[in-house]
Amino acid sequence: MELAGVDPGRGEGDEHGRPRRRGQGELATEVLSVLHRAPGPVTASWVQEQLGGELAYTTVMTILSRLLAKQAVVRSRAGRAYVWSAAADAAGLTARRMRRLLDTEPDRDAVLASFVTALTPEDEQLLRSLLNAAESSPEGGSRDDGR
Amino acid sequence: MGFFVFLPLVLPLTSLPIARLAEHHLHPRNAVRLLSWIGVTMAVCSTLALGLLFVVGTAQIPGNPLPDSWSDPEIRTAVPFHEAVGTAAVAGLVTVLTACARSLRRHLRIRARAQRALAPVPPGSELVVLPDPEPYAYAVPGGPGRVVVSTAMMDSLDADEQRALLAHERSHLANRHHRHLLAAQLASCVNPFLRPLQKAVGYATERWADEEAAGSVGDRRLTARAVARAALVTRGSGPAPSFAAFAAPGPVPRRVTALLSPALGEAWPPPASPAGLAAMVAAAGTAVSAVSALNAAVALLLLVKAATPW
Repeated sequence: MELAGVDPGRGEGDEHGRPRRRGQGELATEVLSVLHRAPGPVTASWVQEQLGGELAYTTVMTILSRLLAKQAVVRSRAGRAYVWSAAADAAGLTARRMRRLLDTEPDRDAVLASFVTALTPEDEQLLRSLLNAAESSPEGGSRDDGR
Repeated sequence: MGFFVFLPLVLPLTSLPIARLAEHHLHPRNAVRLLSWIGVTMAVCSTLALGLLFVVGTAQIPGNPLPDSWSDPEIRTAVPFHEAVGTAAVAGLVTVLTACARSLRRHLRIRARAQRALAPVPPGSELVVLPDPEPYAYAVPGGPGRVVVSTAMMDSLDADEQRALLAHERSHLANRHHRHLLAAQLASCVNPFLRPLQKAVGYATERWADEEAAGSVGDRRLTARAVARAALVTRGSGPAPSFAAFAAPGPVPRRVTALLSPALGEAWPPPASPAGLAAMVAAAGTAVSAVSALNAAVALLLLVKAATPW
């Protein structure tokens, strides 16, 4: 995971036993790691709870908004609230959900138009010969982009 | 009206030859529009006919809530159908409505699931490339329609073929092909004789998107290559073809062959040609179906009105 633009060195607290005041960078890192551990997109108050509840809700929101501006997190609307997830996870999460959908809905074709459908062995053979014919006779078609 | 009530139930049998001819002779855009309209009209008429048989056949069976007068002797002489037909019609109606409801629910569920899956992707990007070792490409309809392509699919095509693929999927979204697909699917739930129309609409929407892709990249051969290459990498993992593949080539080889042949004109074929003839036969069949269903409905309405005391 890359924390591009998140500066962990800024605003360090003191190191003398007391619960030190954590800097913005450190907080951002913690929020991000909470989002990485999350089972899916989560609300800001879920993040707040996971951080031990010692941060104000508004602080969590501020950090999330800054991370959003840096494109380290993404947010989407779920009902009336926003849910958040780490940006690096968003694509992987979407891919996993999409795969679950494709694996469990055999009749999806009337809803989601697939580019191609599966081939029978005969189709495959026919297709290979069509492809060969198409590639070996470049003058036969209406090729007008000069490739 | 006699046996005319049954016409809307059996006329959908003509959809098989209509679908064949439309596939071979019409521009896919015209084929999609013609076939889905025919399907919807015939489905509505067929349901209407079932409803009439049900009303007339069962109104006097004890326990039926309909007014007995709706099945008075004079109506029965005009509509000589007995209880068996009416009861069968009830079963038919229930089956039809259940099948439609189930189909619609599945459609909405799949759409909602796809939208939910895509929720984390920031809005504004129509193309969504997902890290997945399995090759696939889908057009997901919805608020903002999205084109979902896996990295495996992208990697198996060169840059020009990718353009053709994206143009194909965008055409699905821009022309709202999912609406035609849903209409055809519901129609085939209503009357199983309309199933060939559903398959033909499915194939014709793919052909339509292929043609638009070929137009947008300016190269039919390139588009044919993109379809063929994508199908060959998809092989076992893609959705099963919605066509019964007997000895006939499946939909993908037919699409590639069509793209390697010169484009069909977009104009409607002249009435004297086989395609024009087919279109006219289709239109006539639909019209007869609609007229006999309407005729039956009006006749029944008049009879019921005459037989009802108020």
